Amino acid sequence: MSIAANPDHNPFGLQSVGQYLLRYAVIVALAGVFAFFSFATTTFLTSANLTSILVNNFTLLAIVAVAMTFAVAAGGIDLSVGTSVDFASFTFVSLVLAGYPVGLAILLALVSGAAVGGFNALLISGAGITPFLATLGTLFIGRSTQQLLTNGGNPVYLPQTGISPLFSFIGHGHIIGVPVPLVIVGLLIIVAATLLFRTRFGRVVLAIGVQQSVARYSGLHVPGHIGLIYVISGLIAAIAGIILTSTVSVYIPNSGGAFMLNAIGATFIGTTLSREGRPNVPGTVLGVLLLSIVANGLLLTGLSFYWQQVGTGLLIFIVLAASFLNRRGRVD
Amino acid sequence: MSPVTENSKYALSLRGLVKRFGGVEALSGATLEVERGTVHGLIGQNGAGKSTLIKILAGLYQPDEGVIEINGIRHERLTAREVEKLGIHFIHQDRLLVPSFNVGESLFLGREPRLNRLPFLDRRSMRKRAQDILDRYFNLRLPANALISELTTAQKQIVQITRALLDKPSILVFDEPTAALVRREADILFDLIGRLRTDGITIIYISHYLNEIEALCDRATILRNGRDVASVDPRSTPASKIASLMVARDIGEMFPKVATTIGAPVLTAKKLSKAGKFRNVSLDVRQGEIVGLAGLLGSGAKDLVRVLFGLDTADSGEITIEGEQGRPRSPVAAVAKRLALVPEDRRGDGVALGLSVAENTTLASLKRFTRSGFLQRNAEHAEVDRLIEQLAIKTNGRFAPVRTLSGGNQQKVALAKWLSRKSSLYILDEPTVGVDIGSKVEIYNLIGKLAERGAGILVLSSDLSELIGITDRILVLFRGSVVREFRSSETTPDDVLAEATGALTPHHGEERHVG
Repeated sequence: MSIAANPDHNPFGLQSVGQYLLRYAVIVALAGVFAFFSFATTTFLTSANLTSILVNNFTLLAIVAVAMTFAVAAGGIDLSVGTSVDFASFTFVSLVLAGYPVGLAILLALVSGAAVGGFNALLISGAGITPFLATLGTLFIGRSTQQLLTNGGNPVYLPQTGISPLFSFIGHGHIIGVPVPLVIVGLLIIVAATLLFRTRFGRVVLAIGVQQSVARYSGLHVPGHIGLIYVISGLIAAIAGIILTSTVSVYIPNSGGAFMLNAIGATFIGTTLSREGRPNVPGTVLGVLLLSIVANGLLLTGLSFYWQQVGTGLLIFIVLAASFLNRRGRVD
Repeated sequence: MSPVTENSKYALSLRGLVKRFGGVEALSGATLEVERGTVHGLIGQNGAGKSTLIKILAGLYQPDEGVIEINGIRHERLTAREVEKLGIHFIHQDRLLVPSFNVGESLFLGREPRLNRLPFLDRRSMRKRAQDILDRYFNLRLPANALISELTTAQKQIVQITRALLDKPSILVFDEPTAALVRREADILFDLIGRLRTDGITIIYISHYLNEIEALCDRATILRNGRDVASVDPRSTPASKIASLMVARDIGEMFPKVATTIGAPVLTAKKLSKAGKFRNVSLDVRQGEIVGLAGLLGSGAKDLVRVLFGLDTADSGEITIEGEQGRPRSPVAAVAKRLALVPEDRRGDGVALGLSVAENTTLASLKRFTRSGFLQRNAEHAEVDRLIEQLAIKTNGRFAPVRTLSGGNQQKVALAKWLSRKSSLYILDEPTVGVDIGSKVEIYNLIGKLAERGAGILVLSSDLSELIGITDRILVLFRGSVVREFRSSETTPDDVLAEATGALTPHHGEERHVG
């Protein structure tokens, strides 16, 4: 049979290229915006700027988005990731300020972020409140709590001197030439991807996310796993709080909330990388990269900061639409 | 509305339809000709092509070959909108009605009458037209402001039919209308179909049940493997002849019962009670034994299963599993006690449609494939492939989403999930509903094999000949109590049904408890 006569075998045909582009819409979009900004600005494609994208735009959002990916993978959502970021930041700053060792402060900061997740777990697994409402409640409670703790929202500054060098090392240090935040985020991505994709825990979470009642009828411990997911989400978000604090040496109340919507966007952009549309860590990371490049690039083109949101929104539309077209194409 | 050619004898004539999905031929030259004003049955096993044929008629699929004639007018292709204009309406079992709408809103959804062309709904005329039809055909008052979610299945069906009748249809298609109805409701439906026929409406009636076809239909077309194998007068054709045309298989080999050695009790339940559901139910299932549970909706049989598997808790009573006493408090505990449940709602609770065959198959036995938390994919995939082969699961590989499998193969995956671990008691709730006949026999064989290997099996089935065919004993529940125990070899479906409906139970003979 000649190749032309077989419609399924059409490796160079337009249709197959189109399908391919749709299938990997995130990667195509990533390459597209990268190329665009490289030509549109003189400053984008410089090593200093690319490093800046990774350190300033990518790192914190990537961490929070990975936390979000866990919640979404389990069929829920975590609107209070920013609360965990803030609580960790507050705990970290307060303890360092009070003279506690940085190591202990980091540990307790992680615990405080995880505790926010634990509160969600109680609401969701214990009281049976839907994740959206439970974490929304936590978000509001967290916001008020921070205002009460800081006299209505005053930042808590750390002095420039007398702080252990370990503190600023987290935000500004390098390990064999690589910025420490990037090392942390790299490790986190690997651990999170492994946990979700290679372990029994990840499989159970996936099953719960896809069809909860089947997981229950299979004798899996559904409430336990869901609870654990929110603790993990809070714990991961706390890492972002620690890095943020170490970078800017200040705790600003309710600043973590800024990450939440972008994290949701990145997670859902990331689902398009999976054939079944499942939340996955590599996809989320690409989604974050995409949003980071757009944020950075738009700024370099001289457009107002406020256009960023428009760019982000358009990108999410485009990628999700491509994924939708791709899926519909496959059904036909 | 549509021009009717009176010289055409057929209201509908679909000839030589072919429909392919990828490499699979769902229809390979099927013909359905329906005379005007008759009730025409369409029968066939699952996978015979009934639903494909109906979807072509509904304008949802376009046939690859074949002729479509409606009222003698040939149509190259049908769209859903044209079909509605032609006056063809479909009554589906699970046709979507918006649960939060009320009856009146549902009836006129999408074609609300307007007040003098103003953009306001003419609620008075809506109510009057709906009530006219309800009175005329159903002789009942369905309050127009009742919410859909408050209605019974039968009442929802009435709303659907009424909705169709408001359009003065020429052809009504009933797709398995009695599947979720109790006997009394089905009788009302049959009565209604008779009256619609008198009014000159052509009716296509799709069903599994031969007795319904015989009672209702003027003619019946039998589909098998995507072709029409015969068109018969069901009143003069013996049911056994029709059955063999549908199946092309000897019914005798349907239930391959293997002789097993009955051993020690696997499950013993003593005086289990749950308020409002069942009381003082005692039963035991032994190794190698297949026990049937028969009971209509509301008999408590389903509730009993939920309690046994830890999905609900009983108020009182004892459960002993493999000599160990203690009621399972959750499915987690039940599975730890080596219980397995294949639930009735296959697509809701049995298999995860969005997960692959492999992920579904090992879901209850992940510990087997885990070393220090990590999944051992090679071991997992080897086991999945073994089960795919053992159960002859037809799938496009182990990574295919279960959504893409046929009903029978989905059910095999639901079973495979429990075969991947060793269970001592298998509870199978309607294991063959919506399963094609070939897979049914394979599932029966498998159940036999499990019993042979020493597992205890508890089966619930509303197909009483199946229940009698595959079990050793049958317990009949009526209104929450075990009213009778039969040896399967010494009973008939009629006897079991008589007990299950309470016809033989003193004091309760008249009123029936359903729903």
